Amino acid sequence: MSEAGTPVFSVRNLWKVFGPKADRVPGSELADLPPAGLRERTGCTAAVRDVSFDVEKGEVFVVMGLSGSGKSTLVRCLTRLIEPTSGTLAIDGEDVLGMDTTRLRELRRHRAAMVFQHFGLLPHRTVLDNVAYGLEIQGLGRTERRAKAAELVEKVGLSGLEDRRPAQLSGGQQQRVGLARALAVDPSVLLFDEPFSALDPLIRREMQDEVVRLHREEGRTMVFITHDLSEALRLGTRIALMRDGGIVQLGTPEEIVGSPADDYVREFVRDVPREQVLTVATAMRPPTAGEGDSGPALRPGATVSEAIEAVARSGEPVARVTEGGRLLGVVDHACLLDVVAGTGAREVTV
Amino acid sequence: MATAQATTRTASGPPGSRPLAALRDRPALGKLLLLLVIAAVAVPFAQARWGGGVWPGALTVDLSGPLGEVNDWIIGNRDSHPLFLYFFGHISNAVVLSVRGVYLALLALGWAGVAAVAALVAWRAAGWRLALTAGLSFLVCGLLGMWVPTMQTLALMTVAVLASVVLGLLLGLAAGLSDRTFRVLRPVLDTMQVLPAFAYLLPVVLVFGIGVPGAVLATVVYAAPPMARLTALGLRGADAGVMEAVASLGATGRQRLLSARLPLARKELLLGLNQTIMMALSMAVIASVIGAGGLGDRVYQALSSVDVGAALAAGIPIVLLAVVLDRTTEAAGRKAGTEPTGPAALRGVRGWALAALIAAAVAVVGRFTGGRIWPEDAIVGIAEPVNTAKDWMVDHLYTGIPVIGGTADWAAHFTSWILNPLRDGLQGLPWWAVLLTVAALAWTIGTWRTALTAVLAMAAIGVLGVWDLSMDTLSQVVAAVAVTLVLGFGIAVGAARSRRLERLLRPVLDVFQTMPQFVYLIPVVALFGVGRAPAAAAAVVYALPAVVRITTQGLRGVDPAAMECARSLGATSGQQLRQVQIPLARPALLLAVNQGVVLVLAVVIIGGLVGSGALGYEVVFGLAQGDLATGLVAGAAIVCLGLMLDRVTQPTARRQRKES
Repeated sequence: MSEAGTPVFSVRNLWKVFGPKADRVPGSELADLPPAGLRERTGCTAAVRDVSFDVEKGEVFVVMGLSGSGKSTLVRCLTRLIEPTSGTLAIDGEDVLGMDTTRLRELRRHRAAMVFQHFGLLPHRTVLDNVAYGLEIQGLGRTERRAKAAELVEKVGLSGLEDRRPAQLSGGQQQRVGLARALAVDPSVLLFDEPFSALDPLIRREMQDEVVRLHREEGRTMVFITHDLSEALRLGTRIALMRDGGIVQLGTPEEIVGSPADDYVREFVRDVPREQVLTVATAMRPPTAGEGDSGPALRPGATVSEAIEAVARSGEPVARVTEGGRLLGVVDHACLLDVVAGTGAREVTV
Repeated sequence: MATAQATTRTASGPPGSRPLAALRDRPALGKLLLLLVIAAVAVPFAQARWGGGVWPGALTVDLSGPLGEVNDWIIGNRDSHPLFLYFFGHISNAVVLSVRGVYLALLALGWAGVAAVAALVAWRAAGWRLALTAGLSFLVCGLLGMWVPTMQTLALMTVAVLASVVLGLLLGLAAGLSDRTFRVLRPVLDTMQVLPAFAYLLPVVLVFGIGVPGAVLATVVYAAPPMARLTALGLRGADAGVMEAVASLGATGRQRLLSARLPLARKELLLGLNQTIMMALSMAVIASVIGAGGLGDRVYQALSSVDVGAALAAGIPIVLLAVVLDRTTEAAGRKAGTEPTGPAALRGVRGWALAALIAAAVAVVGRFTGGRIWPEDAIVGIAEPVNTAKDWMVDHLYTGIPVIGGTADWAAHFTSWILNPLRDGLQGLPWWAVLLTVAALAWTIGTWRTALTAVLAMAAIGVLGVWDLSMDTLSQVVAAVAVTLVLGFGIAVGAARSRRLERLLRPVLDVFQTMPQFVYLIPVVALFGVGRAPAAAAAVVYALPAVVRITTQGLRGVDPAAMECARSLGATSGQQLRQVQIPLARPALLLAVNQGVVLVLAVVIIGGLVGSGALGYEVVFGLAQGDLATGLVAGAAIVCLGLMLDRVTQPTARRQRKES
């Protein structure tokens, strides 16, 4: 972790409690109560409880959980759209909770831009003016901001629709406007709050591809909130799984699927096609004599389903896992079937 | 059905809890029982102490003395006291000057110019069809010989509307941005909207005297509340998601207000403007009673000499003005936020510039050819033919038609068979019985809070010493409301079941809902003469459109899934109506009753001008005689009566509905 430098977001022991006299909850014995007990005793709800994590530069950090798990509150705490109750929060090493109004406004204007589930577009403005809105807020001149906005409208694939109003666009198009508006201010981190939940499955897929493309091309840091496991697995460099305001497990998609931290996570990932998430690095075993000589070669990052295909095509009993010409191990039918069936005793070693 | 449920449920329960369970199932029953207990204790005491019958004299406070003194003091000090010299005096002067200025500007524009401006504004806001209507309407005003009064009314209204909008916007902004202001302001605004226009006249006359300043201020006070209410509601109703997105981009408070919150509330703001203009027109016409001049004054003068022809000649311009103003602002509100249409050359600023250019050209040409004021020889006098027609009606329709009688006969029968017994009954009822009835009605329909307000308002009427007069007014209101509801619900059930009937009714309702209250007096005087029955008839006609519309919408708005379910179970259309539509539309029905009561009261009070007597007449009499004390007491009683009637019929759902 240290090699990536200062994390973009560094969150430690963050709490957000809603309700009367909320600040007495964190750090007291009330903090250990289950949600129902807490509500009964104090009338408070802990939307975010004692959460700590770092978001590294250039990664897509996915926060996943069912509705009511506190994920949307958490992402709003990052720019203090919701004021956290306690804990520490830093962006690029700078304390966010201590910022005054002006500094906070600067943070929101330049460093972190957000994309919302229900788009949050201004209905009385055209697409172009909606995209330019963030720049207008910053005080940029009309021609300048419009030129920049036009660039982004093009980038998200809405060319020709500049003069439409949001109400005339489809949901997917509206969210592209929201994305362009966030990108227009050139933020160091993009925050997505369930951006694609309101869209049709096909459009959702398309928009996910768009995010993947953006991430690949620009390497922008993203914090992505979702309740959709497959979306989380597709996009996430790392995934934080939330339940009742706390993080249950934090790890790569492979770690989440391959070695669930508890029964809740296990239940959650039960239906995931494991062969598409787990890599051969997890499934391989040390080679016995002679096995390293033949068979197709795979990178350690290849998924098990890719390995199955390679093995089936080659007709060899095993496939070799190699990195830089060095043999790391082999996978045979048994290894691969274990992954698919979920019977492998092997757990991912972190 | 509810009783059946209650009995089966209690029958199965343990025997001891039966009455309690019944109470729990039907809270209204509990309230009534509690009220009965209170009555059993309090009534014998009150009866023994003060006696039954009308409100006891021992409990009244005679305010005419002190009020008369206040009046005298104000008249004596109007020209010398600093409060008048440096505050009211300036307001009064400013109002007179601005009305005069607008009036002169309108005259300078000439009739051709005014008609052109009206047509072009309507064209920009609502399209060419309305532009035609607007232009023609102004020409008709001229043809009827009403050009000068129309311009007077327009000038007064322009000033009043501008002031109302500014005042309403400021109040609305305050209430929209601060929760505390909203909580304080909202009940005040809600209440102001249910009070009859007449109640506002006397206080302003007390301060400003009879004349244009008082008329303008009364209009402002009457017309500003809707603007304030809708501004506040619009600002508060801004989409939370959009506001959050705007905040997330780092907007300052000012930017949030100007670039998001206000534009998001555009529809409400324009609706507020529409309502303010319509209420201002309504009041500007009524304010002729306190010297507003203009069209209202012509109607008022004509009605007091039962000259229907002259009243109609002045009434038609009022109606035309109302329709044009309402349609134009309504269309502007509908268009707000939608994509601009039409050829690109005519969009936005360019279209308005073109309109201004044409208007200027027409005005200049008009000035050089026709002059400022509508030419005398181009006036079509309709007063005489109308009066001839009316005389024929008096001779042939009023009475003596075989079997069905005549209109005057109907009025006489309505008065002697319904209004008189009702009035005598109400006046003969012991005062405590009236209070109890009010409490029972208000509490079963609403909450203990509304019941308390209603009872206190009713008691205040007694204390003011106008119990008898108020019972007279109340009897007219009750009779008119009963007729309105029977007719209204009947028509609405029909309209809810037949699309064709609804389509036929819609334009009629639209026009009827736009007309100012005052105008309704003209046709009823023509048909029924003067008296209490014509006033009640005007009230019915005025309140009917709102009742029909709310009820129809309520019945139509019933969840289609529930209707489908009932149909799939094989319910007849009668069963559907009784068992699904009416129960589900209950909130709308209650709202219709509430609106009906409020609207009927407003016209019954104005009926004082056409001989309906009671409180309305007291106000008119007080104004005419300069006896402001009498008028003010009657005005206060009107306020109390309005408050009581609104609270008695105020369903709890109405508050919840407005919150959302």
